[in-house]
Amino acid sequence: MTEPSGVDPDEGCALVARSAADYLARSDPLARARRWRDRTPGYDREAWRELASLGWPALLIPEADGGLGLGLDSMVAVVRAGAAASLPEPLTEVLAAAQALVHAPTSATRTGLLSRIVAGECIVALAVQDEAGPIDLQRIGTVAVSAGQGAWRVTGRKRFVAGGVGADGYVVHAHADHQPVLFWVPADCPGLEVLAHAQADGRFMADLVFADLVLPPDHLLASGEPALAAAWAAIDTALIGSAAELLGLSQRALDLTLDYLRTRTQFDRPIGAFQALQHRAVDLYIHQRIGESVMRQLLDALRHDPSAELRTRGASRVKARAARSARQITREAIQLHGAIGFTDDCEVGMHVRRALVLGAWLGSELEHRRRYARLAPPIVD
Amino acid sequence: MSPPSPPTIDAPADWEALPLEDFRLRVRTWIEAWCPDEVRYPAGRLRWAQSREWWSRLYRRGWIAPGWPREHGGMGLSPIRQIVMLEELERHGCGRMPDQGITQVGPILLRYGTEAQRSEYLPKTLSGEAIWCQGYSEPNAGSDLASLQTSARLQGDRFVVDGSKIWTTLAMDATHMYLLARTSRGARKQQGISFLLVDMSTPGITVRPIRNIAGDEEFCQVFFDSVEIPRGNLVGRIDEGWSIAKSLLGFERLGIGSPRRPRQAFARLEQVARARGLFGDPAFLDRYTELRMDLEDLSAAYEEFVDQVRRGEPLGADVSLLKIWGTELMQRISELALLAAEDHAALAGEVALEGSSVNVLAPFYSSRPGTIYGGSNEIQRNILATTVLGLPR
Repeated sequence: MTEPSGVDPDEGCALVARSAADYLARSDPLARARRWRDRTPGYDREAWRELASLGWPALLIPEADGGLGLGLDSMVAVVRAGAAASLPEPLTEVLAAAQALVHAPTSATRTGLLSRIVAGECIVALAVQDEAGPIDLQRIGTVAVSAGQGAWRVTGRKRFVAGGVGADGYVVHAHADHQPVLFWVPADCPGLEVLAHAQADGRFMADLVFADLVLPPDHLLASGEPALAAAWAAIDTALIGSAAELLGLSQRALDLTLDYLRTRTQFDRPIGAFQALQHRAVDLYIHQRIGESVMRQLLDALRHDPSAELRTRGASRVKARAARSARQITREAIQLHGAIGFTDDCEVGMHVRRALVLGAWLGSELEHRRRYARLAPPIVD
Repeated sequence: MSPPSPPTIDAPADWEALPLEDFRLRVRTWIEAWCPDEVRYPAGRLRWAQSREWWSRLYRRGWIAPGWPREHGGMGLSPIRQIVMLEELERHGCGRMPDQGITQVGPILLRYGTEAQRSEYLPKTLSGEAIWCQGYSEPNAGSDLASLQTSARLQGDRFVVDGSKIWTTLAMDATHMYLLARTSRGARKQQGISFLLVDMSTPGITVRPIRNIAGDEEFCQVFFDSVEIPRGNLVGRIDEGWSIAKSLLGFERLGIGSPRRPRQAFARLEQVARARGLFGDPAFLDRYTELRMDLEDLSAAYEEFVDQVRRGEPLGADVSLLKIWGTELMQRISELALLAAEDHAALAGEVALEGSSVNVLAPFYSSRPGTIYGGSNEIQRNILATTVLGLPR
């Protein structure tokens, strides 16, 4: 990834984090999330353009392609803050899908798409799964065959496409000529059906059904090894981004819970004075701190060694940890709030439901532990 | 066959001047060359008879007291280098020696002691002539240590001590004890406690070892029956011993949260699982990987605190999260090792497991005290809740 010429990356990250905090404080994303819940696309397109004016979709896109060329630190800072504020727009989803384009070979399609993403004119989603369970890019599900004159005819179905409802197009993993490929599929392509599934958090996932969909030659983004590398870069970015979101929302749920323990009075004292509750709160705090440490260590390590191997292993590790921490914290947040914690009015519920989605998207704790066990060298020295 | 005496020269004038990784390598190489096998990976705490040789090698090398100033016979290491030394000792599996004279008494005397006390005790603490035990807990003062009742009445130029101390680790090997005793009753129970140095051979002291759950005698009850202690053995001012006892809460607290002990238990788990052929069992593998990741993630948190020490920043109360997570993790690891051993877990001592010999129960037993001593994990949670999370008292 190219470094920005004028600004050093740490400074860039700090700037972005500050502007994110400003924006989130003044724009009430929580109210927006509630407003857009349960109706497609689940977020506000107008707000997306504002996020784009702050440079958010451009964070990880190289300067040469018109982006900000910042590192994963800045993505983590922004999506973390966004999740804590219940930002409903599909930021992690777009940042991740854009990484597939960034890592794809140079082409007019790639260049055009990246500049539209930077401008906030294009919401793109990543479609890499044919079914639930471990992601296997060698598996042949969606298939493209020649339709003559370099065009492709695509048949199949992609599932669990987060941010896919209301998107302008998709980076789709398929097989052509016995090798994995990535296609650009615009949302308005004839032969594409987008089925919306309500997510636990009131947003939507898409299934994409390709029925003899015909794509022009220049919609093939990458094939073979470069396609795999680009897809994994996108998936890992999605995993690290969802881990950052999980950490952000669990910190928020923990803060809400601690505030409640300090102020809610029963038996003539704040309930936070009861040792049984204090100890549970401390355990949640420890979960949060361990999660933060793992994320920080990963970002540090990637700064020194930005290899795909380390990124992939680290992405599973941090996703498993953040999902574990957020699971504990959001569930306990309900209990420690008592009945109010189970109401829709209480903010805690927003974080519980978002944690359900992120915990499952692109692999659960269980799946990422399995993947980590396969990828990581043994621990004992 | 015991190796020849280690060289005492080749020490650079200033350890601090070496780059950190060179320093680590020098320490590692020396430990590997000179650490006797009998102190490596002990099943329980090392007795003095087992540690004596290793202690004396470290002493002759000038390495027995990494944190003490050089003019008092220490290495004068900065906190980060002390941590490196600890890490290297742990890495080699060196068991903990009866080191409280080095870690506790020395620093306390340097800060609060008189000139006479320093010249009397520091040299023999270094040489191993004085082995110290800690006289803090009492039968009715455990987590609530400040409610201790052992009394020290000042009569002329001596204190007369009556009462008893308990859970005193390796008191039977100790020549001296540092003792908290009540010299008066103040408005708060923390007032009126004094810090005294006691020669264990003083008439009136009885040491009764207590057999622990593992069948070992590591801790003791110590009885005081009109034990006379010279007034000169009072450290600091009378009635102000509580603040002295509490003063050692610096980076030392990192040691208790180090991932090394759970890592050693994990190595045992791995050994058992391999012998039992469990790595092909997906249910086992998930539990194993979860613990492994808990361990690695503990290390990530630990490293952050180490970085804080490296930057010269003081540690906050939040560091005790490492102790809570690490000690409880070690228990979870040792429990899985019991399950992994299957029927062998019923057997005491070394067990033959497909060609290797493992003490399956050792990690189980050695993981139990960690959550109790050094401020039980419940006390640690109380402290975190009020001081870090700001929950009401």
